[in-house]
Amino acid sequence: MIHIPRIGIGGPVGSGKSMLIERLVPILAEKGYSVSIISNDVISKEDADRMRTNLATNGKLLPENLVIGLATGGCPHTAIREDPSMNLSVIEEIETNHPNLDLIIIESGGDNITTTFSPILADYFIYIIDVAGGDKYPRKGGLGIESCDLLVINKIDLAHMVGADLEIMKEDAVKIRKQKPFEFVNCKTDEGIVRVVQHIIHDVLLDSIPKSLVSQRV
Amino acid sequence: MLRVHSPIGNIFHDEEFANMKEGTYEVLKASRVELEKRILRRRTEQGTDIGLSLNNGIKLHHGDVIRSEEHIVVIKQLPDKVITVKMKNKEKKDVGILLGHIIGNRHRPISIHNDEVSFPVLVDSELEVFSKLFSEIMDSIYIKIEEKIFVPHSGADVHEH
Repeated sequence: MIHIPRIGIGGPVGSGKSMLIERLVPILAEKGYSVSIISNDVISKEDADRMRTNLATNGKLLPENLVIGLATGGCPHTAIREDPSMNLSVIEEIETNHPNLDLIIIESGGDNITTTFSPILADYFIYIIDVAGGDKYPRKGGLGIESCDLLVINKIDLAHMVGADLEIMKEDAVKIRKQKPFEFVNCKTDEGIVRVVQHIIHDVLLDSIPKSLVSQRV
Repeated sequence: MLRVHSPIGNIFHDEEFANMKEGTYEVLKASRVELEKRILRRRTEQGTDIGLSLNNGIKLHHGDVIRSEEHIVVIKQLPDKVITVKMKNKEKKDVGILLGHIIGNRHRPISIHNDEVSFPVLVDSELEVFSKLFSEIMDSIYIKIEEKIFVPHSGADVHEH
C-alpha cells in the first residue's frame, strides 16, 4: 500500500496546534500539495469541526471528508504513541481511498511536555509551545521539546505582555535542541509560518513536487 | 539529493560488505530514535544530501549500507547513555520482578545480555530518578552507566517517555 507522509503536531492545551494547521494548509494548498487532517481530542471534536468549516467548507482547500475528528476517550498521548491503532486505521482508510494525497497532518489532543508520536504513526513530529507559558519553557526541556523534529514557539506577539524575553527563549532553544531546528511564529498574523512550511517540504516531502502537478505533466 | 528506499546490506552482518568495517567511507550519523523513522533528511559530514523514504517494513540499523551511482554511505548509530543492571543473585525472583516493574513503568526499551538488562536514559537527571526508584533493591543489584550503541531486544522495543 502507498505510504503518504505524515506529520504529527503535539503540544499543550491552547498552544495553537489547530491554529498552526489552519495556517499551514493554505500555504501548502497554494503550492499544490493535497492534505488530509486528523484531529485527536479526548472527548470533543470541536477543533476538527472548526478546521473543517474554515479550511474545507469556507476555504475550499480540501474536501470536508478529509478533515477527520477522533475522540480518543483517554490520555491524548496514548492514542499517538502507546496504542496508535485508532489513528492508524483512519490512515489506512485515507491511503486506500485517497492515494494521491501528499500529506496527512495528525493533531494530538492537548498534552504535557512528555508528548511524542510513535514513529509508526508519524514520520515527523512538530511540538508547539507558546510564550504565555513564560520564557523558561524551552529551558525546562521535556521529551516533546527536546526530541521533536521541529519546535514551534507561538504567540510571539504576546511576549511583551507576559514578560517573556524572546532572546532568552532563543538561546535556551539553541542549547537544549542542539542542532535541531526551532521557529518563532505568530499564528494570528502568519509570521514565521512560511518557514515552518519550508521545513515540511524539505524534511518530510523531500522537495517532491505535488502529486497533482505530476499527474498534470503526465 | 540521494533518495534511499532500502539499504543494500550491512557491514556487520553481510560478508559482501565485511571489508568495509576497516575502511574509510562516507558516514551518515543518526540517533537511535532517528533510525526508527521512515522518512528522514540529513547530510553526511562530507555534505551529501540524503533523503530516506523507506519502503514498507524497512528500518535502518547501525552498519547498514546505502548507495547511489556516486556514493556509498554507511549508517552509524550515535551512542546513547545507557543504564545496565545485573542482579547479584539471579535466583531472587522478587528483585527481578521489581526491576521489571520499575523499568516497564517508564516505558523503556531494553536489551538483555549475559544476565544483564540495559535501557537508555533520556536526560542526565534521570540517573537520579532511577537511583531513587531502585533504592529498595539497591543492595541486590549492580549498576553501571555507560555510553554505547543501544540495540533493543526485538520484543521490547517500546517508545519511551
